[in-house]
Amino acid sequence: MRQSLLNDTLTVSGLSVARSGRTILHPTSLEISPGDRIGLVGSSGSGKSTLGHALVDDFRAQGKRVTHVPQSPDEALDPLRSMAFQWREAEQALGLQPGSADQKTLFSTLNIEGSDLRRRPWGWSRGMQQRFVISMALMGTPDLIVLDEPTSALDPVVAAATMDLLDRHLGSGNIAMMLITHDLGLAARRVSRLMVMEDGRIVECASTKELLQRPQASASKALVAHRSWVELPC
Amino acid sequence: MIKDLLGFMLRAAVVLTGTAFITFALLWNAPGDPAQAIAMARYDALLTEEVIALIREEAGLNAGFWAAFFSWVGPLVVLDFGRSAVSGQEVLPSLLAAIFYTFPLAMAGLAVGTIISLPLAILATKKPGGLFDRIAIAIASLGAAIPAYWLGLLLILFFAVQTGWLPAMGARTPTHAILPALTLGLGVAASLTRIIRSGILEARRQPFLPAIKRRGVSSKAIGRDHVAPHAAIPVVTLFGLELAFLLEGTVMVEVIFGRPGLGTLLVTAIETRDFPLVQAVVILTALVFVTVNLAIDIVYRLIDPRIGEPDA
Amino acid sequence: MLKVANVSVKHGAAVILSNISFSLQPGKTLAVVGESGAGKSTLIAAILGFLHPSGGKIAWAGASVRSCGPALVMQEPRSAFNPLLSLRRSVMEPVIAQNSEISKRRLNRLCEGLELPAEILNRRPQEVSIGQAQRVGILRALIAAPPLVLFDEPLSALDAVTQKHTAKLIADLQQEEGFAALIVTHDLGYAVAYADEIIVLKSGRIEEVATPTTFAQTPKSDYSRTLRDAAIALGALEASS
Repeated sequence: MRQSLLNDTLTVSGLSVARSGRTILHPTSLEISPGDRIGLVGSSGSGKSTLGHALVDDFRAQGKRVTHVPQSPDEALDPLRSMAFQWREAEQALGLQPGSADQKTLFSTLNIEGSDLRRRPWGWSRGMQQRFVISMALMGTPDLIVLDEPTSALDPVVAAATMDLLDRHLGSGNIAMMLITHDLGLAARRVSRLMVMEDGRIVECASTKELLQRPQASASKALVAHRSWVELPC
Repeated sequence: MIKDLLGFMLRAAVVLTGTAFITFALLWNAPGDPAQAIAMARYDALLTEEVIALIREEAGLNAGFWAAFFSWVGPLVVLDFGRSAVSGQEVLPSLLAAIFYTFPLAMAGLAVGTIISLPLAILATKKPGGLFDRIAIAIASLGAAIPAYWLGLLLILFFAVQTGWLPAMGARTPTHAILPALTLGLGVAASLTRIIRSGILEARRQPFLPAIKRRGVSSKAIGRDHVAPHAAIPVVTLFGLELAFLLEGTVMVEVIFGRPGLGTLLVTAIETRDFPLVQAVVILTALVFVTVNLAIDIVYRLIDPRIGEPDA
Repeated sequence: MLKVANVSVKHGAAVILSNISFSLQPGKTLAVVGESGAGKSTLIAAILGFLHPSGGKIAWAGASVRSCGPALVMQEPRSAFNPLLSLRRSVMEPVIAQNSEISKRRLNRLCEGLELPAEILNRRPQEVSIGQAQRVGILRALIAAPPLVLFDEPLSALDAVTQKHTAKLIADLQQEEGFAALIVTHDLGYAVAYADEIIVLKSGRIEEVATPTTFAQTPKSDYSRTLRDAAIALGALEASS
């Protein structure tokens, strides 16, 4: 049994993905402890999302509770089904009784309380749809939540608010978080550990502070150099 | 909602008027003398010029195209189809009698088609590209390629002539409907199988399905709650087109199997140049189309309320 | 000079743009920032003459904007091209009637400025990366030497590193060519880094007009401050302490 000793730590080893004969994720091993805040950064096409999906599927196969929030709500919600239906469906998938997931708390921390659950996704704004998806991913306190560019489809103000609400909800609790993004500036403010990907490999892994100050790999250097537009003197 | 309804009524009016006009113009300009044809049908003999002129007068053929057109269209508005130019009897009763035979046959054809195609398509999509899928596609292509008259004759040859299990001609008992319904249904099944199959495969490519799977929802529930509704949309569209096929098919099938009904009625009416009767059948067909289209529109909105939403 | 004076756009009872006025000098960059639905895209459509304002005037050097041959760079680089044509054919379309020798020389010079190997133009839009496709989009916009270029979210489909690289290339070309640039973006970092002036648009109204420094350090309106703070929270602007 892989999980008998390190019951609380999530571990994968030698995870790899090949598609039509090409390796798009080279063998990767990593460990995630409870409450970890990890950023997975890299340019587009570096294999971040592939690793994210592979991680979620592997952990789930190990029987861990791991959830995934895709980039756009269109990739998470069925436009023909009401929000209430999708919520109940997620509850049932977890083996919860209808209404037993703490919807009220989740909705109020993510600021979507009072929304009409009878409507279908397109009856909600995109920001609210995305926060609904995040709240579904937080249902039943998972071991790890993987967020793949969770804010890139949102306006800056809504995006910032969503990240703040998520941070507050996670607090110093045991839910580990992995933030996948091309934007080091975004990740650096939210995570304590960074993994840099390039061409389907993790090329560097360090604490946020360490990586920002002394990036080693060329991909990390490019990300650090371009992490924000301007430094404000204030 | 009221706006939608008005829009629908307007569209229906345009379609019906157009149909009425085109049928009338076609019949009016068809080669040969309609009065002669009516005389032949009525008395089965060549008649003198005077009698022909009388018939021409009586059938309203003298009044000129527009006058004749409007004198026919006018009463239609209150569903008065007029009298047959040949028998002189009201058109409506014979029309209703024909529907009494045709409607159940068409529905039976649709039912046979659905019963065959739905399981076939679902089984085929269990493993796309697999052996069963290929067989299903082959059957469907074959079914679409075989014309109804040939299939009808084959069925008659085997079930009626060789084995004598089923009656072939007429419509005296419900068993008489089996072979015609089968002929229609096999044709319907061919196109439905292909559409349902590709509808399901298309629905499986919806971008949100991987996420729902990662949420731990069983594939059975995903198929039922997420794939089926998306697959239903193209299938509903095809049902409307299928009806066109059915109406066209019933004409053929009724003639092959010697059954009374709209098809037989239409064929005789055309042969005898019975203007009012031909037009009545065509208008009725158009009316059915318009109604079915409305029904499909409503079903669409039930499945996917985004259709018809101004903001979507 | 682009002059927009008291422009309003109504759609039925809804007011999309209300009393918008600004001007833009050749060689300068103006950024219009705001959230989705603020009216940014409508403003571009109005300037290009795709829709008629219900009030106000838009002009380039006293004549209609269309007559100056403005160019537009769109957000989605790949879908902005005909997928069946080579990129070269799409790029050369605006100058098809002109002297081919001169256009060819200009094409080579712009390719160099945009760091595009000439070979890339023989491919089709699906066969290049998004970053390259967007640079080809800029190439097409600039090929006919327009005096005014409108950029509609030119970087939002690109990743963070490519964004900054592309922004630099645009700015360098602008130095050489001297076109006036109007950039519509929701990325405040980009606006602060490259614009000469920033217009904050909210629900169809101009909320604030500011220089990048003022906007980043002492925004006047509450809404501008909210936008600035969001940009900091998302790491687009770095508050060094």
